[in-house]
Amino acid sequence: MTRRKLSNAARFVILCIIGFSICIPFVWMVSASFKPRAEVEEVNIVPHQPTTRNYPIVMDLEPDPVTGKKLNMRFGRWYFNSVFIAVGVTFLQVLTSAMAAYAFSRIRWAGRDTVFLLYLATMMIPGVVTMIPNFQIMVSLGFLNTYRGLILPAAFSAFGTFLLRQFMLSIPRSLDEAAEIDGARHWQIFWDVIMPLARPGLIALAIITFLGAYQSFFWPLIMLNDAQFYPMPVGMLALDSSYGRQTELIMAATVMNVVPLIIIFVLFQKFLVKGLQLGGVKG
Amino acid sequence: MKWVFAGVLLLFAGMGLVAWATLVPAETPGVVRIRWATDANPARDVQTRLFSEMYPGVEVVVDPGLGGDQTKLIVQCATGTGPDVVDVYSKEQMMALVDAGILLDLTPYAETMGFGVDKTYPAMEGGLVVDGRQYRFPCNVWANCVVYNKRIFDDHGVPYPRDGWTWDEFIRVGKQLKETPSKSGEEHIPFANWNNTWLFGDLFWGAGGRFYTEDGLTCLLDSKEAIWTMRFYHDLMHVHNVVPTAAQLASISSQGGWGSGGLTLFSGGKAAMISIGRWYIIQVPNYPQIAGALGAVRLPRVGNRESSGMTDARAAGINIKSHHIQEALKFLQYLASPEYSALIVKDGDSLPPNPLLAQSGKALVNPAVPDPAFHQPFVDAEKSARPVDTSPFVDALQVQRWLVEHIDKVENKLMTPEEAMKELTHAINQQIRINLERQPHLQRKYERVTGRPYEPGWWRQYQGTRVD
Repeated sequence: MTRRKLSNAARFVILCIIGFSICIPFVWMVSASFKPRAEVEEVNIVPHQPTTRNYPIVMDLEPDPVTGKKLNMRFGRWYFNSVFIAVGVTFLQVLTSAMAAYAFSRIRWAGRDTVFLLYLATMMIPGVVTMIPNFQIMVSLGFLNTYRGLILPAAFSAFGTFLLRQFMLSIPRSLDEAAEIDGARHWQIFWDVIMPLARPGLIALAIITFLGAYQSFFWPLIMLNDAQFYPMPVGMLALDSSYGRQTELIMAATVMNVVPLIIIFVLFQKFLVKGLQLGGVKG
Repeated sequence: MKWVFAGVLLLFAGMGLVAWATLVPAETPGVVRIRWATDANPARDVQTRLFSEMYPGVEVVVDPGLGGDQTKLIVQCATGTGPDVVDVYSKEQMMALVDAGILLDLTPYAETMGFGVDKTYPAMEGGLVVDGRQYRFPCNVWANCVVYNKRIFDDHGVPYPRDGWTWDEFIRVGKQLKETPSKSGEEHIPFANWNNTWLFGDLFWGAGGRFYTEDGLTCLLDSKEAIWTMRFYHDLMHVHNVVPTAAQLASISSQGGWGSGGLTLFSGGKAAMISIGRWYIIQVPNYPQIAGALGAVRLPRVGNRESSGMTDARAAGINIKSHHIQEALKFLQYLASPEYSALIVKDGDSLPPNPLLAQSGKALVNPAVPDPAFHQPFVDAEKSARPVDTSPFVDALQVQRWLVEHIDKVENKLMTPEEAMKELTHAINQQIRINLERQPHLQRKYERVTGRPYEPGWWRQYQGTRVD
């Protein structure tokens, strides 16, 4: 018994140390967002001269105290863009992945498994390789500098299809058969039988997709030349230039940017863990 | 479940309506817009506004996402959607963009429109042309000097460095700063090494070194000057301990990015000296604690040689696929104008492209640093500086990456300076041979340069015993 207690205590201490070291960058980020410029390169966690001015400066409500000028950052617009793009991508990706996963898991058709493997194989291609062809396609379609160019390419996901397919494979086939006997067609089975049962997987995919789309940087950087379409990660480049990296402002912007992600993750983390676990149990 | 999806769809549609309704039209009727790929310096607002005043009917839109980021630039230029004017930050980058067919040859326009190489510093000429053709014109020009914090020197009771000093004196000053206790009780780093490649380059130039032979066929980084430079660089860190390694700097400072920890350490009053261009002073308003405390002196001399270092420019080129070439050329014309140069002087953004406005330190005085004695060394440094020498037979950016790798290895004591320079030279010479073997256009260049027909064993005569 004592051995077990000691072992548990040791595990608890180790996990606390690991958790603490993972939290340190976030703690420093919040701390730096409340520091004045002269103090930001110090490593103290508690600011000697705390200030809340960095937040209104980033939101363009107050001028920078050093230069006396406003930053001309369209923070509110960029924040809106990030949420809008993330919501759009999440909605479309969850919907298309669910429909594709249903077709790959519940319907038997010739060549199904081969097509699925080919679809999955596209995940092996590095993004850098397809960047220029994808960009060229977007230009040809007239999607440069548009929301469509950011949302549509991300609306389909082999990973999402794979995740939900694994999840749907764990749902008993007898439910489909019972629904078919009652005269239900595939569309009704999909919406009324499978989708409610796949809720944990759908939520897991929705969270992963939202987090990814919200923080997306590289594709928006390449697709956008007009600042009014920028999402937050691209907009924050304005705080890093030959004029100097304004770390305290970047940290304030990052804290505001990260808050929705933390809220979503904290609220839905049990669904995320459950969804990933259940999807992986039966392959 | 259907209602959840329906709800999200409604939310998405509502947000889409708001987004669409609040968009501002991109084009102003009757005005041609050109896109300038540069960084997000707030000074760009004033610069672009002045351009629009001088050239009505043309508007410049800054694209900060392209500033320094090669990937976006290459992807967009490859698909014909790139910016009209591109900031090119170094000669190596210029050569890579010219090789990729991205930059327009400015030579036919430069003389008639007034932005030829004769309109800027003579030292910069080699940094603006490739094979005798001009591809960019400076937005600003830099040459490094040692900038020092007078308060730290006073705190330690160490005399300020003076023009004409040598690298041995630099070491002596550094040791004094380390070993003499300060009156305030604070500890200070003698020298903030914020860019190891530039420090190496300045040392190498000061020693009279060259990267290549005149014909560009042989790398000279195993010459006695090169080995001396790397050995001296190593000793600054590991023998004399007056310069921290990049890893040590990164571990001290909490800030990275543009300028790395060294810049912020110096700006925060933790380091006594830094080797940097005049562009540093655009950051002075951000750090009131160093205002009024800055001095500058030319780079130390190597032995009896004159003080000499590198020079280069943030220079603008034009995208060959731009849809507004004439307007973009007007922008380059604007960069060569005295009005633009006056803005650069006032902002402290390094040296102006027009040397007539940088004849003396007094001419460069600006609100951030009103002391003419601070600016004079930068004027003097530009006169004796020279750009990086490159070879047309090897990718300059690749060579730069290899150089950085080998500098890192010496810093971290994974190689001796001699081993590093020999290995680096061997790799570059080998790459020159491979490139010549595989690229017929380089073989034709070889024949033009040497006056001899290309043959596979050419390197025995040129690279000789440098080859294993």
